[in-house]
Amino acid sequence: MDPITLEVHWSRLISIADEAATALLRTAFSTIVRESNDFATVLMDASGNSVSENTGGIASFSCILPRTTRAFLERFPPGTWRPGDCVITNDPWLATGHLPDITAVSPIFYRGRLVGFAGSIAHSPDVGGALWGADCQEVFEEGVRIPPLRIMREGVWNADVLEMFLANVRVPRQVQGDLEAQITANTVCAAGVVEFLEDSGLDDLAPLGAALAERTDLAMRRAIAALPDGEYSAVQEADGFDAQTTRIMCTVRIAGEEMEIDFAGTSEQIARGINCVMNYTHAYSVYPVKCALDPFTPRNEGSYRAITVRAPAGCILNPAYPAPVSARQLTGHLLAGAIYRALGPIMPDRIIADCGGAPTMRCLFSGLDRHGDRFSQVLFASGGMGAAPMRDGLPTTAFPTNAGAGSIEAFESVAPLVVWQKQFRPDSGGAGRMRGGLGQVAEIEVRAPGPLRLSLLSDRREHPALGMLGGAPGACSDIRMSDGTRPHPKSRTSIGPGMRLTMSYAGGGGYGPPGERDPQALAADIRDGVVSEAGARAYRA
Amino acid sequence: MSGYTGPALGARIGVDVGGTFTDLVLHDAAKNITRTGKLLTTPDDPSRAITEGVARILREAGLTPADVHSIVHGTTLVTNTVIERTGARVGLLTTAGFRDSLEIGREIRYDLYDLFLEPPPTLVPRHLRREVPERMAFDGEELLPLDEAALLREAAELVAEGVEAMAISFLHSYRNPAHERRAGEVLRAAHPAMPLTLSSAVAPEIREYERTSTACANAYVQPRMQRYLTKLEADLRATGFTGALYVMLSAGGIASLREAKEFPIRLIESGPAAGAMAAAFIARLAGLDAVVSYDMGGTTAKMCLVENGAPDHKYDFEAGRVRRFAKGSGLPLKVSVVDMIEIGAGGGSIARVDPGSGLMKVGPRSAGAVPGPVCYGRGGTEPTVTDADLLLGRLDPAHFLGGEMALDQGLVQRAVEQGVAAALGLGVAETALGISRIVDETMAAATRMHLAEKGRDPRRYTLIAFGGAGPVHACNLARLLKMKRVVVPLGAGVASALGFLVAPPATDAVRSLVGRLERLDYAAINALYAEMRAECEALLLEAGAARGAILYTPVAEMRHVGQGFEIPVPLPALELGPQHLSTLRHNFFHAYRARFSRVVEEAPIEALTWRLSAAAPAVHISLRREPSGAPASRGHRAVRFEGHGEVQAAILDRYALAPGQAFVGPALVEERESTCVVPPGAACHIDENLNLVIELP
Repeated sequence: MDPITLEVHWSRLISIADEAATALLRTAFSTIVRESNDFATVLMDASGNSVSENTGGIASFSCILPRTTRAFLERFPPGTWRPGDCVITNDPWLATGHLPDITAVSPIFYRGRLVGFAGSIAHSPDVGGALWGADCQEVFEEGVRIPPLRIMREGVWNADVLEMFLANVRVPRQVQGDLEAQITANTVCAAGVVEFLEDSGLDDLAPLGAALAERTDLAMRRAIAALPDGEYSAVQEADGFDAQTTRIMCTVRIAGEEMEIDFAGTSEQIARGINCVMNYTHAYSVYPVKCALDPFTPRNEGSYRAITVRAPAGCILNPAYPAPVSARQLTGHLLAGAIYRALGPIMPDRIIADCGGAPTMRCLFSGLDRHGDRFSQVLFASGGMGAAPMRDGLPTTAFPTNAGAGSIEAFESVAPLVVWQKQFRPDSGGAGRMRGGLGQVAEIEVRAPGPLRLSLLSDRREHPALGMLGGAPGACSDIRMSDGTRPHPKSRTSIGPGMRLTMSYAGGGGYGPPGERDPQALAADIRDGVVSEAGARAYRA
Repeated sequence: MSGYTGPALGARIGVDVGGTFTDLVLHDAAKNITRTGKLLTTPDDPSRAITEGVARILREAGLTPADVHSIVHGTTLVTNTVIERTGARVGLLTTAGFRDSLEIGREIRYDLYDLFLEPPPTLVPRHLRREVPERMAFDGEELLPLDEAALLREAAELVAEGVEAMAISFLHSYRNPAHERRAGEVLRAAHPAMPLTLSSAVAPEIREYERTSTACANAYVQPRMQRYLTKLEADLRATGFTGALYVMLSAGGIASLREAKEFPIRLIESGPAAGAMAAAFIARLAGLDAVVSYDMGGTTAKMCLVENGAPDHKYDFEAGRVRRFAKGSGLPLKVSVVDMIEIGAGGGSIARVDPGSGLMKVGPRSAGAVPGPVCYGRGGTEPTVTDADLLLGRLDPAHFLGGEMALDQGLVQRAVEQGVAAALGLGVAETALGISRIVDETMAAATRMHLAEKGRDPRRYTLIAFGGAGPVHACNLARLLKMKRVVVPLGAGVASALGFLVAPPATDAVRSLVGRLERLDYAAINALYAEMRAECEALLLEAGAARGAILYTPVAEMRHVGQGFEIPVPLPALELGPQHLSTLRHNFFHAYRARFSRVVEEAPIEALTWRLSAAAPAVHISLRREPSGAPASRGHRAVRFEGHGEVQAAILDRYALAPGQAFVGPALVEERESTCVVPPGAACHIDENLNLVIELP
């Protein structure tokens, strides 16, 4: 196929995935989908190879979806699919690493023949079990596990399964609404593909997909080949659970145009929900490499062929069933920092310092509001991003995830809570030639008639975001009640009316020696009150 | 026929001040005169070019300033002030605990893979953002009284810091503006000369970041716009002009100078709005109720849905993006604007081979006017869309811009060969066709997405093409979108300015009040509508509308409880009561289904924001004129069409074509600013308003 036609087809296929994403995003009920962009839509060929992905969404999800689809194909061989089918799963090991994410895949038929699959992933409003708990001991406590099954056969719901599932969730109407939104997205994608095949005169996606994958594979290989061969390693630690500190041991081997990322030596899996399955480990390893080496080539099946990711079975990055995995992001989000620390010395101008927002820190309030209606509301807010070689870290911005934040006015109008402050946290950015991004402080008062349940998912209480190449670490996170107590950072507790919770989000690490900071930039930080006179000492030592 | 009052309709003049040119159009219905004019913008004092241009066009028309009924003005001054960061030093006063909302923003990375992306700009630096103890709850209840002493202290410090304008944005002020209003009174008394913007006045809508951003942007452009508009009016009066001076707002309505001075941010899309109003006018003339207007210039292409003779609107806009076409990289503004998509696909868009994939990309980088495409011979070396159009035979190298600019084909051949063709392993002609195909596909994808978001199917629509490059690419774009018909109005470069003369006085008002449908506080909503109606009426009377002729359209933004995106839902009446509940539900489901092709019947519905649009009837002008009388045919030229190879196409002179004439493509219809490419087999006729109407095979 000539390069012009290839480009024209590629941009068309990406726009089909984007149209599907728009349909999903606009009709989803899940605030997690909306505010954290916790979703993806992927167009695949009939073997489950990714052909194109939506532009926004969670980068790691689109990398996992084809793997899940290939698992579906083992259970449901190509000949068994019919138009109007939809297969779903939320199995952590087959899909995205924890139960709340539902993967839905629909077949695409063209002139009576199976030519591809439309897939979507979305974080469901609920899957039963322990709502937002990192403290479970087995996956069974964390919610309903759906093995790959046909939730829809030829356009008709699998009513028994649906009823069984909905009977186990807190907000069945919304859960079904989001399943419908995913199916709508798949339908939009399938219709787009059929129209594309008609317009282009092609009768299958596979040869086109293979030609596109060759392009992306080549782009990544070229970028890897430009790096010096060798073995580079780094250790990254995190709070883990209670006394069990998480220790990520990361070794990156570069040989010619291939890269191997090996986590041998990493902590064992634990009986708490911060284990990170291999699919998630893989996705959060290749994503930061893509950002650093080849950020602008669109993604498909070829993008990550040159990269191998290994983690020993039974470690926290490759846990065995039935390990609890609900808060796997608390571990998976650490990998970008580990990989950048390993590669920093050989590509200092293409990476950033460790991020305060890795992992994300969340508080979820649930209970009854003033009208007696049940509510459940997450405060979305991020710590500071690590400093870059040429500029300060972005304040209050997440990486490697891309969770946004909603409005406090909107937050207060749907939950019996008042937020008394949400502002920058001075001195939280790690000192450096380039300063780490600022974290923030949010103070929330409960104004419900009765006590509310409070779920906390956080890390970095003891382990700050580290600096890069001489930069200082950012400030640690902190969570405090108005009575002065510090709740367990990964716990489910309750909080009474009138109580206030103060969440202090971690800052990003600095880049380069603090003594090399431009004095004018330091003076501006002091004038703006983001670095105090005391904080400025870190730059003058 | 129009909503205007005052002196009998005399001459009306539209003036569009762009970055490079100031365009004028004069129309006198009684004397059947339509004239256009163009002169260089005078950036140090834009009113100089305006007064000079007005004097010149009047002289040419044989009229005097006293004959002018009204002048309607559109300007890029507001946009440029934001883009170039040349606005006022602004001080911001916020609720204690929230001074960083403006900079924290949405906490999103607008590019997932770019580690080094530049954050959106912050118009007010942190040391000029000050906090005042006060607090309202989401339902308007006062949680903490306003600390006036703190307010005065902080304001005094801001004045000492040299701020030239102030904005106040308190939490939940859209629901209860009492603290903001009181703070405004206190500040006006203490600092009477300081321009002051209240967030609850400029954008009384829920979501503090967007509202605060709008208030700050308004304050940022206000001192400059007030000076400018005051001087412009004085300068025009000095020439003997006694008529009314109006401005065009971003939503395409015309408004009084008072509204423009108080809320200058509403002029942010003043220029592009005129283009959309012109497209709507052409659609009405041609009797088309389902139209996509398409304006392709040197740097960008803009598409806008025009249904039932009116362009679509939206209520937010992003200005001053750090990466021009990246959503989320600019300042969010809660202003009513014509809903257009703008993409980086223009005549100047540059073709290059992407080093990663080895495939060719076209745009969004543009050669702009300087150096411009290679064929201009002004130093451009990277091949552009216009260069490809030239190689394909679509443009006449000897007659570009009416022959003012001779295009250099040899230069272009070399640039395409060395710049892209060699790396792709393709011939020059094949590559040129490729450039055109890629840019057309980019525009088609963006249009499909824009329509899909509104639940529209492009096949039902007619494409109206404007701009220098629009008519060149229109038929290809229409084919990709499976549209059957393309309409190309006469005078692509002038058509946009017509918008100033056909736009009615129009404005809108908004309030937020969150409530589930079954628990709506009708008394409160009706009070909001009474307030909004009075506000709109006062503005429109100032803008020349007749009291009885104003049309009000109420719309509420609703969603299912738990969702995060609202959809606009038309309301049955300006005064609502429990008897309207079933209609409200019905209208919501209707709008929801139109967009998403499904409904979720049992899920509860809530309304967040209530809007009122008010407009006088649209204005009609006649475009009919006599053909030049010269022979239409200018011979033939070889043109390359996708799927047809190189064929001989008839060349026709647009100005010689008369209503009723018809022909079948391949043909090129040439006019001064553009060339319309009619593909083989397409049937074209000239309608009574001299539009080219092309039916695709």
